[in-house]
Amino acid sequence: MSSPVITEPAARAVDLVKVHGEGETAVRALDGVDLDLPAGRLTAVMGASGSGKSTLLHCLAGLDTPTSGTVLLGDVDLGRLSDTALTRIRRERLGFVFQAFNLVPTLTARENILLPSRLAGTRPEPAWLELVIDAVGLADRLGHRPAQLSGGQQQRVAVARALAGRPEVIFADEPTGNLDSRTGLGVLRLLRESVDTLGQTVVMVTHDPKAAGWADGTVVLADGRVV
Amino acid sequence: MVTFALQTAWRRKRRLAGTLVAVALGVAFVAATLVVGASARAGFHHTYLTANAGIDAYVRSSEELTGGAENTRPPLPASVVDTVAAVDGVRAARARVEGEAALAGAGDRPATVAEGWIDVPELTPWRLADGHPPAAPGEVVIDRALAREGGLGVGDHVTVLVPEPVPATVVGIATFGDEDSRADANLVAFTTAEAQRLLLGSPDQVSAVAVAGDDGVSQADLADRIGAVLPDGAEAVTGARLTAEQQAEVEGDLVDGLELGLGAFAFVALVVAAFGIVNTFTILAAQRVRESALLRAIGASRRQVLAAAVVEAPLVGLAGSLLGVALGVVLASGLLAATAAIGFPLPTDGLVIAPADVALALAVGVAVTVAGALPAAWRASRTAPVAALREVAVGDARPSRLRLLAGGAALVAGLLAVLMAGGGALGAAALGAVLLLAGLVLLGPAAVRPVCTLLGAPLAARRVAGDLGARNAVRNPRRSAATAGALLVGVGVVSLFTVFGASATRSVDDAVTRSFAADLALTPAPGGLDVAPDVVDRVAVLPEVAAAAGVGRGPAVLAGRQDELAFADLAGLGNVLDLDVAEGDLAAAAPGGLAVSTAYADERGWQRGDRVAVGFPDGTTERLDLAATYDNESVVGAAVVDRDTWAAHASQPRFELAIVKLAPGMHLDDGRATVEAAIAGPEAAAVRDRDGLVGAEVAEVRGVVNVIYALLVVAVVIALMGIANTLSLSLHERTRELGLLRALGQTRAQLRAMVRWESVLLAAFGTAGGTALGVFLGWGIVRAVDARADIATFALPVLPLAAVVAAGLLVGVVAGIVPARRAARLPVLDALGDQ
Repeated sequence: MSSPVITEPAARAVDLVKVHGEGETAVRALDGVDLDLPAGRLTAVMGASGSGKSTLLHCLAGLDTPTSGTVLLGDVDLGRLSDTALTRIRRERLGFVFQAFNLVPTLTARENILLPSRLAGTRPEPAWLELVIDAVGLADRLGHRPAQLSGGQQQRVAVARALAGRPEVIFADEPTGNLDSRTGLGVLRLLRESVDTLGQTVVMVTHDPKAAGWADGTVVLADGRVV
Repeated sequence: MVTFALQTAWRRKRRLAGTLVAVALGVAFVAATLVVGASARAGFHHTYLTANAGIDAYVRSSEELTGGAENTRPPLPASVVDTVAAVDGVRAARARVEGEAALAGAGDRPATVAEGWIDVPELTPWRLADGHPPAAPGEVVIDRALAREGGLGVGDHVTVLVPEPVPATVVGIATFGDEDSRADANLVAFTTAEAQRLLLGSPDQVSAVAVAGDDGVSQADLADRIGAVLPDGAEAVTGARLTAEQQAEVEGDLVDGLELGLGAFAFVALVVAAFGIVNTFTILAAQRVRESALLRAIGASRRQVLAAAVVEAPLVGLAGSLLGVALGVVLASGLLAATAAIGFPLPTDGLVIAPADVALALAVGVAVTVAGALPAAWRASRTAPVAALREVAVGDARPSRLRLLAGGAALVAGLLAVLMAGGGALGAAALGAVLLLAGLVLLGPAAVRPVCTLLGAPLAARRVAGDLGARNAVRNPRRSAATAGALLVGVGVVSLFTVFGASATRSVDDAVTRSFAADLALTPAPGGLDVAPDVVDRVAVLPEVAAAAGVGRGPAVLAGRQDELAFADLAGLGNVLDLDVAEGDLAAAAPGGLAVSTAYADERGWQRGDRVAVGFPDGTTERLDLAATYDNESVVGAAVVDRDTWAAHASQPRFELAIVKLAPGMHLDDGRATVEAAIAGPEAAAVRDRDGLVGAEVAEVRGVVNVIYALLVVAVVIALMGIANTLSLSLHERTRELGLLRALGQTRAQLRAMVRWESVLLAAFGTAGGTALGVFLGWGIVRAVDARADIATFALPVLPLAAVVAAGLLVGVVAGIVPARRAARLPVLDALGDQ
């Protein structure tokens, strides 16, 4: 399904280094990572615990600042931006699906999906929104609160939220980690469909090889480096 | 185990800090109350001990008049002094001649006591420091405080008002023991003979006899011996008993009231603090279950973990109470200094900090803290641990039906109690207040969603921060209600006093309007004595004045009952005052007659024409005819006689108030100028028009209300801290959620706004309930107060109440500032990854 089209990468990491702590307790979570993330593809980032895969995701998504190196989103250098500017980028140009605690408990499913837009002061295109909701199959659950949804349903709401804003990149951090294999498959299928049908770019961190099997390409990290 | 508990508490010190400060403030009030009370008592005790140091026995009239502002006894015949001096065992006996006076030009010194100088050192606390004792008419000794205040020295000429101005020369300066003066009174001393003439009106009378006994004769024995030779109507008491009685009287008048007032504030402060304490421990309990599970997993024994939980509350309570006691001592010294500044000087030897009082304050603080931690502990003991490990659920379990029923019942019962408490049933109104508060506390959680949704609707529609904040305010109704509860109590009490103040002002206004049919009034000059009758007479004959009449009051015994009796120029009174005469004629009561209000006549079962036995301050009784009844009690009170009738039986008669009606066509300002010129002189009375009269009385009420406000500010501050504290802890619980919001694109500014809106909504909830409660209770209590009291008319002060509401909302804004900042400062990643 992946056609070899040469396009600008959706995001790039250039010689990314992230060091936690200092002196004797310093830990190099990322030790010089160079990476291009192709647009319109599902890329899996794999590695054992402590390999730095989550740190990489956080740096790419503007949730963390690297110690040195550059992160480019499109052609924007994230390292030059203030916290407020980074925040704006997250809500206008990115989408997130976390492993757990994805949804705000006080909001309904529909309100959760619309949350990033509301924070930006905009509204998603109604036609697009309906399309997304149909795609994740939640039309009859929109009025429910997270407490009334199953784990799989919550993840699907998160995916819908991530898609609703038509982001440049969707970052998913172990999206199926808390789900049983059948439900997890459903979520992976969703992510796959969003790439195939809707042309999204998805970067998925996972430790599960089966999940990685759904990706177009895989990046493997060990000890903070790409191997 | 104890170390472990201490370490655990220390680690959580930030979260417990808010509770500690709240307890400290509440305990500070308790401690201040106890210390002020003890210090004042000790101070007065010292004063009276000094005053009565050498007095072994005291001879006075056995009759006491308690109906007036102060208790008085009739004078004794002067011959008693010689009778007493002749008793075996008496070393010295001297006449005590006492009255009131003012020293012209002495400024704001407290009430001055005029006496006849006693030359026997044991029988008087006053020591001559300079000059010589008075030996002739016109010579006086003053105390050093008066001398300092007025810049006076031996040889200076002064005017003493008794209340007629008496020219005199200072021949000596005295001290009260070692001090410049008594704390509560100053001295002007004449010769005994002149004092008798000026203060008692007769050379054959004395106020009392002070007696020193021989060594070896006990006070009780001496008093018995003297009592045996006294004529009827006189009694002898021991010096010890005299001191005890004087102390009890002043304590009843002053100290008890002060302690009661301060105690009430301490109670309010503790109640407000309690809300915050309960909340804090509830939140901490949830965190503890997770923490203890982890601790148990790594090897802490069950007992260790339990001990940490049990020890925490008393530990925080003790620490807070210790801080509170220290603060309370500071507050006490400030209060004592303040009372001196506003003219109620409490004599003090310095602060009396009794160990028993300290222990009591500490105990109260620990008890309140432990009691506050109990609900949380009890609930925690019933929660399955697994439930606690889940993420913070939205919406507590619905309040139980029992709670709703109980709350509703309390609310209805409270409403009924207040509504039915009319005229005099203050107890019922107070009970209603307690029930209403209980009802509101029980129903609070149920009301959070509807009320906050309503209040938050306008902002939820416009801003996403407002919407999120509003939802957060209602997500845990029980906690929100408890947080807002503290502010509800604070705002409720403030609203209550705002309504009181306005009602008292309106009542004064109404009372004056109802009775003041004239143009001007003469009132005592600040710091001076009441108005002298001859001043009123002088004004009455002015051509610019149509009529002038004075009204005074004093204690009397009306057909066996201690009461207050007014006296006035009855013939002219009707020209300046509308008494609303029901039966008879005031002028007919003038020569030796009595007039009473219809309410009083009904109460005593009297009718016009009855003869009533009236006991006067000089000890004599006269039968007076009840010549008239009237309906308007506002100026003269329940009973009045003609001034001549009164003057025949009282020394130093003075008017509290003189009412002046100007000649027709006379302009108010011209008339006032003329009257002022006519009465000009040392310590002349103040001339006021109707507005000025209302203003002067209102100023007194305002003064009291302002002091109350100042103390209530503390309660509101405690409530503010409670909100901030609870908010911080709640936000800490929601860290993951905050991280998620930041990740999804909520800027720091939006997060701060969201927290502030949550805080404001909670405050709005508390303010709405508090204002409603305060106004309703204010209305109910004004209704319940005796119609004859000074605060009988209800007034709704709209603007001040709006200010109170605004202040309540401001509390919400301020309380949210620090929690908002702290929550926004958290790095996104740390929040996301928070366990």
